Amino acid sequence: MEKKVEKRPVVSSGCCSAEAGVRSRIKNPEAFPVIAKPKWLKVNYNAKDTREVMELMERLNLHTVCREANCPNLGECYRKRTATFMILGSICTRVCRFCNVCSGRPLPIDPDEPRHLAEAAKQLNLLHVVVTSVNRDDLADGGASQFVAVIQELRKALPQATVEVLIPDLEGNREALQSILEAEPDVLNHNIETVPHLYKAIRPQAKYQQSLDILRWSADYAHESYARRLERDPKARGRMLIKTGLMLGLGEDDEQLNEVFTDLVRERVDVLTLGQYLRPTEFHAPVKRYVTPDKFEEYREQALAAGLGFVAASPMVRSSYRAEEALAAVRAKEAAALHANK
Amino acid sequence: MEAKKVIVPRLAPNMESGVLVAWLKAEGDKVAAGDVLYEIETDKVVSQIEAETEGELKRIIVDEGELVSPGQAVAEMLC
Repeated sequence: MEKKVEKRPVVSSGCCSAEAGVRSRIKNPEAFPVIAKPKWLKVNYNAKDTREVMELMERLNLHTVCREANCPNLGECYRKRTATFMILGSICTRVCRFCNVCSGRPLPIDPDEPRHLAEAAKQLNLLHVVVTSVNRDDLADGGASQFVAVIQELRKALPQATVEVLIPDLEGNREALQSILEAEPDVLNHNIETVPHLYKAIRPQAKYQQSLDILRWSADYAHESYARRLERDPKARGRMLIKTGLMLGLGEDDEQLNEVFTDLVRERVDVLTLGQYLRPTEFHAPVKRYVTPDKFEEYREQALAAGLGFVAASPMVRSSYRAEEALAAVRAKEAAALHANK
Repeated sequence: MEAKKVIVPRLAPNMESGVLVAWLKAEGDKVAAGDVLYEIETDKVVSQIEAETEGELKRIIVDEGELVSPGQAVAEMLC
């Protein structure tokens, strides 16, 4: 079922191929120098090692957020034969000031996408599959049913693999969220992205409280569902983990960040990722500061002290960067706590 | 041995250009597959571009500090 969406631009400036050529039309590129970056913002890239994953995605008509968002870790992750799938097409109904994904009128949903995605995950031999999507505010359920179909296909094709979904806010549609939760992903991730006072400038179509609601509802479900399963089977698979992340360098300060940490602990979030915001093009929000690796460590300690279970914080950390390791670390910690309680 | 062009990879779907900020190998250097040849700075990061095959860096076509585009040849290798 489709619902009417207000008029919106076909593409946001500079984000995708439809706008390619903007920079080259600038008469004197020398007047737009690329600002020198700190030495820790260096990545390796070997075209040969990325080819296999690129070709696989193309052949199965799949998208990755790695590529659409111009992720700096693509070279490393593709080399390791891992990727984060982006479902529901490659065109987003929102225009966020930090994001490189194309905005505009989305294409119809590909009914083969769940099956193709599971096939690709199988070919890559993934033990942990991360699935995200564009925002689909044009769909009544925000695209939730496609997430459900993907989780189901993955469970069929790769019963041993763990599944992490990084979902949009679904405009606060609790029913749609519930359907995703009932498909029982191992990790439910929803990014809070930035501190509340920057929402208007950075995520104009989102609301901080609405994103907190998504996390709280998910945590409530995760704890209840796990308790029910434990009653039936004391060896039941671990509880669904709730995860979120923020980009730093958009203009937030320490106090505002610590308030967010407190909010996340209150909503029972398990895992937090903190990484450096990097501007994808000159048309996006500027980088206000480059946070040093030492400062990231400081934030990590503050977030842990606030009560978060696991925190990944460093300049190149992204939502799904080494997500498998985060999941394993939290599971190990939980197992140790359970053991101590016995 | 045949001369092969070193081509700037498309680091992102919408990449139009980047600055070739440094050469880490000099003309005449022996290069192993995976060695970093040069660095390109784009909006987000500095990418260290690795050699896809082993060989010898014969000729540098584009100097440090110049703007480069995906598909452009920046050097010649003998492999």
